[in-house]
Amino acid sequence: MATTADKLLQNQFTPGPDSATPIIVPASILWNLLIAAGCIFLSIHIFGLDDFGRLGRPVQYFAGVVVILPALMAVASSIMLYQRKAMGRYLALIIQYVGTVLCIVGVLHLWGVFLSFEAFVDSVMTNAPLTLGFAAGYGLYWLGGRLGETNPWRDRLTQVALLIASATLIILLLATDVLGTANYILNTYNNTLTWVLTAGAVIFGVLTWQMLHLGAYFGELPTQRDAWQGWLMLSPNIIGFMFFFAGPLLLSFYFSFTNGQIGRVPEVIGVSNYTHMLSVEFQWRESAEVTRQSVLSRGYSPLMTVNVGERELIVGARDVMFWRSMRNTIFFCMMLVPLSAIPALILSLILNSKLPGVKFFRALYFLPSVAAVVGTALIWRWLYDPTIGFFNYIITTVTGFLGLADPQVAWLTGPGVVLISIVLLAAWQLVGFNTVLFLAGLQGIPHVLYEAAQIDGANRWQQFRNVTLPMLAPTSFFVIVTTIITGLQVFNEPYALFPARPIPVEATTAVYYLYDRAFPGFQYGYASAVAWVLFALIFMVTFIQFRLQRSEAYEN
Amino acid sequence: MLRRPLTALLLIALAAMMAVPVSFAQDDEEIELRWRTRPDNQAEIDVYTAASEAIDAEWEGVTLRYEPGGSETAAYQDVLVTELEAGTAPDVFWIPGTDIARFASAGLILNLADLASDDADFDVEDFYAGPMSFLTTALDGMDDDALWGLPRDVSAFAIYFNADLFDEAGLPHPEDGWTWAEFVEAAEEISGLGADIRGFGMNAWWANWGYFVNAAGSSFFNEDFTACGLDNQATVEGLETARMLFDNGWAIPWGSDSEPPFIAGTVGMFMNGRWATPNTITNAEFNWNVAPLPVGPSGMETNWLFWGAYVVNANTEHPEEAWDLVTRLTSAEIQGQIADLGANIPSRATDEAIELFLNTLPGSGVNNAAFVSGTTSEDVRTEAPLFFGDWPSIDEAYGTGVTAVFNGDLSAEEFAASICEQVEPLFD
Repeated sequence: MATTADKLLQNQFTPGPDSATPIIVPASILWNLLIAAGCIFLSIHIFGLDDFGRLGRPVQYFAGVVVILPALMAVASSIMLYQRKAMGRYLALIIQYVGTVLCIVGVLHLWGVFLSFEAFVDSVMTNAPLTLGFAAGYGLYWLGGRLGETNPWRDRLTQVALLIASATLIILLLATDVLGTANYILNTYNNTLTWVLTAGAVIFGVLTWQMLHLGAYFGELPTQRDAWQGWLMLSPNIIGFMFFFAGPLLLSFYFSFTNGQIGRVPEVIGVSNYTHMLSVEFQWRESAEVTRQSVLSRGYSPLMTVNVGERELIVGARDVMFWRSMRNTIFFCMMLVPLSAIPALILSLILNSKLPGVKFFRALYFLPSVAAVVGTALIWRWLYDPTIGFFNYIITTVTGFLGLADPQVAWLTGPGVVLISIVLLAAWQLVGFNTVLFLAGLQGIPHVLYEAAQIDGANRWQQFRNVTLPMLAPTSFFVIVTTIITGLQVFNEPYALFPARPIPVEATTAVYYLYDRAFPGFQYGYASAVAWVLFALIFMVTFIQFRLQRSEAYEN
Repeated sequence: MLRRPLTALLLIALAAMMAVPVSFAQDDEEIELRWRTRPDNQAEIDVYTAASEAIDAEWEGVTLRYEPGGSETAAYQDVLVTELEAGTAPDVFWIPGTDIARFASAGLILNLADLASDDADFDVEDFYAGPMSFLTTALDGMDDDALWGLPRDVSAFAIYFNADLFDEAGLPHPEDGWTWAEFVEAAEEISGLGADIRGFGMNAWWANWGYFVNAAGSSFFNEDFTACGLDNQATVEGLETARMLFDNGWAIPWGSDSEPPFIAGTVGMFMNGRWATPNTITNAEFNWNVAPLPVGPSGMETNWLFWGAYVVNANTEHPEEAWDLVTRLTSAEIQGQIADLGANIPSRATDEAIELFLNTLPGSGVNNAAFVSGTTSEDVRTEAPLFFGDWPSIDEAYGTGVTAVFNGDLSAEEFAASICEQVEPLFD
């Protein structure tokens, strides 16, 4: 509801009914109608296509319907612009702004910019030494600025700086074959689509720009102006989110109900992927004479066995690896949380003290969190090597000194050790990040609480137990939630730590499994279903944790 | 005031550099072909780049762009598959032999049979028969002839042995025709030289354990590659022999990368392909050489014939030129240039090509003949793309079972008894 101040402002900003209609308004109405017609034509075209980028009919029809939306928006906008309603202007702005962005992206694509990113990197690297000229120019400029305003060298240095920078630019342009580039870009205009998109970008851009300046004509309030400016600032993120996150997310949800395979048009198969993945059966094996496999129905394989008296209960699953990967992931999380949270808490307590050099150690412990996982995993692979690795060297030395048997730990191959090896690496990487979180939490605890506890005669442990831990509860909750989510999504560590393919069963986590099905297995429909089941698990775990925390908060 | 012009200049410079990529312009008449391999190191990249430039220079009307793909560990196939789905993959690319069937079945690569039949210079017989038999296998329900690509190179396993450790253990160096008994004895004797010394090492992928079951007389598949072939006593014998090496501590534990300890001089024998030779020459600081694989209970010299092929993107806009490029890349001249690296063997089974390979790495003393004999063994099994089954899943099931055997969680008998039943649904 508009406030009185807003109404006053509106009166102030609303021009009289006889004020002249800016030309941009009828132009926008016309353009909107053209867009509506274009979108309807595009929608009909999409519905009529024989093949829609190997995405299947449902996506084709969905796209056909989605394309209608801007048409409806454009028609609504035209009507409201005619009626001089502010909403018409906002709808027109949305259409025109998004149109500008899409046309520019299309033009850049036709110019070959996106597909040449590697060449761009090569170009930057090749010509990087030349850019030193800019550094030199800027250095001279900075030097000139340090001189007094009356010093005659000040202007000379700035002029020389500009000269050097300009010369550098010319050399750089020549070195990077700017004429060839211009020639190539001009050649792309042999394609009609390049002209259409360029014209579209210009028209959309001009209309957007002009429409932005019609606030007064539509009686725009300062608060409304602030609002659209805020949305404008957010728009790169929103557009990116829609195209690169929400779109693929929706697409993966659709794929999870298809038999999608690389190179083929997916067909909808209902919930078959989910039923295949989640199907289990229980059978008794009465005699050791028969194999476990043979007592299960066709398509099922033994997942686990339970001895009940003389008999053996066999749990079979149609997708054994899915269940094993889920089991591994859950065990991984159960080990990761204490191994990354408890050391982090201890470290944060130490780093929260006023010991000399503590800032250096804060940075040091954070380093593993910023290091690339693939790089660190390669180093850990060497550390874990059973014959030339550092860990076994230490174990051999210690057991030899103590006269004990050398266990010769097979870190990356032993069935009972493999998962622990991954957890150790992941925990080592997470400890630094969790330490920073705990440190922030510790520094937020009011010192008066400790002073009060001391006055009450509490010793160090009692202070920690009764002040620090309760006050760190929100931080601990955050650390545990984020660590569990990180743990449920673990992929990089098993991917990089094991050189051979397939990786050991014990190292196959849920996300690795879905990668395995999607890329080496070509079955991206099934992999999408795995992803959505994993999403449901993460959502459920997080939801329960939030509920628990909320109820604890109420109790406290 | 100068800050603004300087900033503007910097921005223009950046824009100029960003615009450079699009300057890979070609004349309207020129056709641009992109091609890609999976090189193992910079030396290979340099050789392929030079080969590409040489072909480009003499080929009127076509411009080549060579793109070195990521290494084996950088998910070469993952990137390729993503690009194929996105429609941005190169016109010609290399894939391993085991991937041919699934790429063909998925419609990702072009059937070149018609193009080849129009090419008077092309003769199937010029190449090793094993890879060509798979490359000409028609898909189920396909009436036409098939040709999915041409092999880039071939390779075979050999035993890289540390001659110093053999001498220290008082053992003769392995030679043609040596047997499993001698091999196992050598592994044991060398392991006895020290706590950190192992007699044998191999890496953990299918071909390594596969050698043991093949040499014992078993096989991954039945004769027509339509079903599992591991349900027999020979599989048990082969796996038990390998497991004995692990159980006794005579081998680097299964799953570990055996190459670093071999290069470090702590492993007596290391089973690997020709691709490991350049690295060994560069880094090994001990006396070493290569020998053929030992003869197993089957009584025959057994080996794998590894291969990969150049194939053509099914969506290429220039199929004729792409086929032309494939034939140029597999010409004797280009294969000779690449074989000089010492990393692989030419895929042309001609005397000229073999002679060329035997003369590679002059002065290194490497027994090149051990690899050639590997490719022509009595019982050479060609790396097989599976046209009638899901090879990645079967590989996973086989590998999981074999790992369980080597780790002591499953007996070799149990594996042999259950594995074929387990993978049966994975065959068409």
